This record gives sequence, structure tokens and C-alpha cells, in this order.
Amino acid sequence: MVYTQKTPWTLVMGVIMVAYAYMVQSGVMEPLITFLNTGRHAGEMQTLGYAFGAVAILAGLWQLLASPKEGQTDYYLSTVAGLTFIMLVAFIVKWGLDPLMAKWGREAQPALGFNFANILNLNYVVMGIIAGIIIVNVFKVPGWAQNGVRLSRLGLKTGVILLGTLYSFAELAQLGKLSIVLIGVFVLGSVGLVLWIGARRNLPNSMTGVMSAGIGVCGVSASVAAAPVVQAKSIEIAYTIGTVLLFGVVCMFLFPIVGKALGMGYVQFGAWAGTGILNSAQVAGAALAFQPTGIETLKVAEIFNITRVLFLPIIVLWLALWYVRREVVTERVDVMQVIVGKFPVFVLGFILMFLLSSTGIFAPARHYQGAYFDNSDKALIKKDRSGKEINNYLKDADVETLRKDAEKVKREDQRAALQRLIDNKKVMSEDDDATLRGIINAKIMSKEGTAVLNKAHRAVRHTAAKIAMFRDLIAWFFTFGLVGLGMQITAASIRQAGGQPLVIGSIVGVIKAVGSLIVVMMLVSETV
Amino acid sequence: MLTPARLLLASHGTTGARAAEKMALDLCRAGTELFHLIVVPDLWGGMMGDDWLNNASTRAAYGKYVEAQLAREIEQHREMLGQEIKTRGVRCHTKVLLGKPELCLIEHAAEIKPDLVVIGSPRPAGTSGLRSRMRLEKLVGALAVPLLIVPYPK
Repeated sequence: MVYTQKTPWTLVMGVIMVAYAYMVQSGVMEPLITFLNTGRHAGEMQTLGYAFGAVAILAGLWQLLASPKEGQTDYYLSTVAGLTFIMLVAFIVKWGLDPLMAKWGREAQPALGFNFANILNLNYVVMGIIAGIIIVNVFKVPGWAQNGVRLSRLGLKTGVILLGTLYSFAELAQLGKLSIVLIGVFVLGSVGLVLWIGARRNLPNSMTGVMSAGIGVCGVSASVAAAPVVQAKSIEIAYTIGTVLLFGVVCMFLFPIVGKALGMGYVQFGAWAGTGILNSAQVAGAALAFQPTGIETLKVAEIFNITRVLFLPIIVLWLALWYVRREVVTERVDVMQVIVGKFPVFVLGFILMFLLSSTGIFAPARHYQGAYFDNSDKALIKKDRSGKEINNYLKDADVETLRKDAEKVKREDQRAALQRLIDNKKVMSEDDDATLRGIINAKIMSKEGTAVLNKAHRAVRHTAAKIAMFRDLIAWFFTFGLVGLGMQITAASIRQAGGQPLVIGSIVGVIKAVGSLIVVMMLVSETV
Repeated sequence: MLTPARLLLASHGTTGARAAEKMALDLCRAGTELFHLIVVPDLWGGMMGDDWLNNASTRAAYGKYVEAQLAREIEQHREMLGQEIKTRGVRCHTKVLLGKPELCLIEHAAEIKPDLVVIGSPRPAGTSGLRSRMRLEKLVGALAVPLLIVPYPK
């Protein structure tokens, strides 16, 4: 079978991407960039625009001019169209809709009394998934894009693998322990609860089995893994998957709103989303919706997701044995086949990346601990996009503000650190930085003085370029994956939510979401 | 009373469809050709949803399982109808199509040119079953032959 479809669209999308990158580079897009305040993305607009545009143009020309033959080359090249399609949607959402919504949210705030874009989390992740859902349900994914859209799963898995580079041993150990406890209790608890309710209501074992996996473990993926094992009927599969998808999409919007309303921190929210959201794809979506400008929440949530996935082979095995004891089945359960067949191989990639990053191969160890300290001229004096110099040394007016407040500082070490800051117009050491943070936290100085100290702190703290690059790359992989997965959530499958799975799913889903929220708020502190 | 020589019946094993089957068989006389259309709704194409965690082998096993399960259910349905057909001496041709129910029916009707099309009534709200319905407006607008919609059994 030849997979490549002759279409001009790959070429057209490639030309649009390259043209956009060129217009950004040449300054033609400057008024729009200024209007949307997207100057910080100008670099990636050019890099990604040229890179994906060039690949799409080459693949587009090949699709139009060549006569593809059956084989691997044809298959892989057939995915470029869909990949480009998802990226184009992601570009429009991230560089256009996201800043536009943020702007409208700010402008409407005086009239509405609240920032609707913030409250509804209308950021690029949420809007990307919505865009995907709208495309598949209203316009349909074009035939030429379908192979590439399936690559979104690979995008998410690659994002998780790369995420492995951003954990320290201490972080992974602590998050791992926490996730095993929480996931252990809530996954096993909800699987057990569904099996118990199913037995009480005299439901068929096949229905109870597929439901318990879907509602208890990781949603659609668990249903897909468990359905053949418990010999689920077609209607039972449809009911379960519809229910899980419905819950997943609702939770992805609801969880960040509740999390923000309760003032949850990144670790708390990541732990809650990772435990309480039924469907694993929406865990990443909710984490990025909660914190679109950073990946701390995603880091926590994905550890919980990975723990859930590692539970999957065990649960499938449990269900297989449970089913065999209750029904007459001709096939024996092959324990090793279930465990090996259902083992999520990409988790090995995550562990490998974590181990590699622990050797310091990507960046020095201190670079992983948030922003690192550097007060050299190279770090303090930079150039903006137009080539204008930006000097982050304190200005004379800043120094004068500090001098006026200096007498309020009584502790000797704080006075000394402040004096060195005044004399040199920059924080002189990591210890001084910590001491000056103490002055800020103690609120000894005036508002203006504190602002100057914060400015001096920010000037010497930097995110390592490689770490920043990894973060950006990971965010893009997740964006790509989530937009593509959005294109696979059909209204027709959500509409199948019904029957006993909807009733039991609602009961267990709400118990799991509320129960994990209470446990997280009581037991999980913000620091790990 | 209608006495069609070529009758197209669209049914898929639900209570409403079974009423349509009964009516269709009542309308058949010796020598009537019954064309039985079973539509597998295209919603099954989206029944892997947004699964992203499973390996290709698990997804393939699931896909094969669902196909086999649907085939089994269709076979059971055909067997039930087959016994009735045999006793009445009706010639029956079965066709299974994947797609939107009304489009499949329109397409198949255009192909076989029946004298009459028989379908069941939409399932009443609250009863269990797949949410996949014939869009009657589209069907009525496109069919060039009489359409009999059998009432849902009380």
C-alpha cells in the first residue's frame, strides 16, 4: 500500500511557514509582534518556521512530483504532511491566539472585574487541544494529514523521555515515593471500588473489568489494554471510552480552575492532576494549562502519570486472573506476555535520559537547581533583538534608593552585603544574594528599596541555556502531542458515554478527584 | 398491502431494528429478494480515543479484538435472522458497510434499487445502546424509493 497522498497542502504550509519566519526576521511582522507582545518568541518563530517550513517544502515537492513506491520511505514521508499541519495549528495558537487572549483578558478586566483569559486558562495548551477537537469534529482531519496526526503519540512520549533530563536524584526519589503512595492508594482503591460496585449491581464481568481499568488506572489507554483481556462487548467498550473521554476533557478544564482558586502550588497541583484525572492524556494538558510558562507542574504530574502507567501491566494481569476465575475462557493467561506486552517502553527512555543528565553530560549539576548565579559582565550586559545594549547593573537612582533605606538594616551581615551591592552596583556573591533575599523577605526596606533588591537579584540569576532549550523543546513536544491528540477526540465517541459506566464512572471519578484533592492539600507541601 | 419484489432492510440487532426485521419478513412473499444491510457506525474509528501510552502491539491487539467482537455480534445477529428467513423461503443477501448509517443506506439503495426500504424507529431516550442514529431528513431527501419506518415496540 502506498501511503503518500498527492496534495499541494504540504507545500503550501511549508511556504507559509518559511514566509512567516522571513517576515519576522526582516522586521515586517514587528508591528504585530509588538501588538501581541510576543517579542520573546521571535527567535523560535524564525528557527521553527524555517526548519519545519523547509522540511515541508521538500516533502511537499516530493509528494507532488515523485511517484512513491510501497515501503518505509513512503510511509515515513507520508507523515510529514500531518506533522506540518499540527505544527501550523500550534504556531497559530501559541504565537497568535494565546497572546491575543491574554491581551483581551487584560483589556476586559476593568469592565468584567476579572481576567477571563486567566480564569478560564485560555493559554496555548488548552486552546491547542480545543483547536484539535474542533478540527476533527467540525472540519475532519484531511486524509493526507491522518498518518502524521498519529505521530502525536510519539511527540508526547518523546516529551516525557526528554523530561527525564530535568530531574535531580532528590526530586525523583521524593516525587517517586509520593506518587507510589498516592497512585497506589487511589488506583488500586478505584479499581477495587469499581469491581465491588460491579458485583453489587450484578453487572457482566466483562463490563466491570474494562470499566475498572479505564476508570481506575489511566483512562482510554487502560481500556484499550484491558478490553481484549476481559473480553469486553463492543457496547461496553464504547460506554467506557466515551465516559473516560468525557470526564478527561471536563477535568482538563476544571482542574486548573479549581487549583488556582484554591491557591495550589506547582507540586500540589501536579500531584492532584496526576492522581485525580481519569485519562492520562489530559494530565499533561491540565498541568500545562495550570502553568503554561513553566514546566514545574508538568514535571510533577508526569511522574505521577509514569507511576500510573507502570501500574498498568499489574492491573491488567490482576483483571485477567480475576476474569479467568469468573468466566469460562479457552485461553490461558500468560503472565509474562501480559507484563512484557503492556510494559511502557518509553519509560526506559525517560530513565535513560535521567541517568545521562545526572552524569552532567547536558549541563553542570548546579544548572538544574532552578536559576544559577552569574554576576559577570557577560551575564549582566546583553543586547536585545534590535541590537540595543541592555545593562543590568543598578542605575544611580537605584543606588540612591538603597542608600536611603540602608539605615533600616540592622544585622551586620545584611548591612555588609547591602554595602557591597551599593559599591559595585551588582550582587557580588551567591552568599550575598541569599543575605539580600533575607532583607526582601523580612520586608525591612521601603517598597522602592525592595523593588531594587529584587531587580539586583534577577540580574544575577539565570537559567542555563541548555536547560532553557530542553524546557522549550519539551514544551513544544507536549504542545505538538496534545494538539494532535485533540484531533483524535471525536464527539461521536464522547457521545457514547452512558449506561452503567457513566453512573459508576461518575461516582468513582468524583470520589477519586475529591479524595485526592483532600489528601494532597493535607499531606503535600509545596517543596520537594 | 405492500408486496415488494426487492426489499432493503437496514437493521443492527437493537429492539427497534428487530421490529423492523419482523415487519420486513411479514412483507416478504415466496420469491421476494431481501437485501439485509448492517452498518458498523464510523464512530468505531475514534474508539481508541486519545490513547498514547500503549505500545503498537497493544493497540494492534485491541484493534483486532474490536473488529473480531463486532464481527461476532454481526454474525449472531445474522444467525437469528437467518432462521426466520429460511422458514419463509426468502432469498437473502447480506451486506456489511462501515460508515454513517444514512449514507450507507442511501448508497446501498442506489446500488440495488429496491422497491421498498424498511428501517426501525430511533431508540427512545433513556434506553441503552450505541448513540448512532439515521439522520432521517437526509435519508428521506435522498432515497428514491418508499421508506417504511416501523414504530418502536411498546
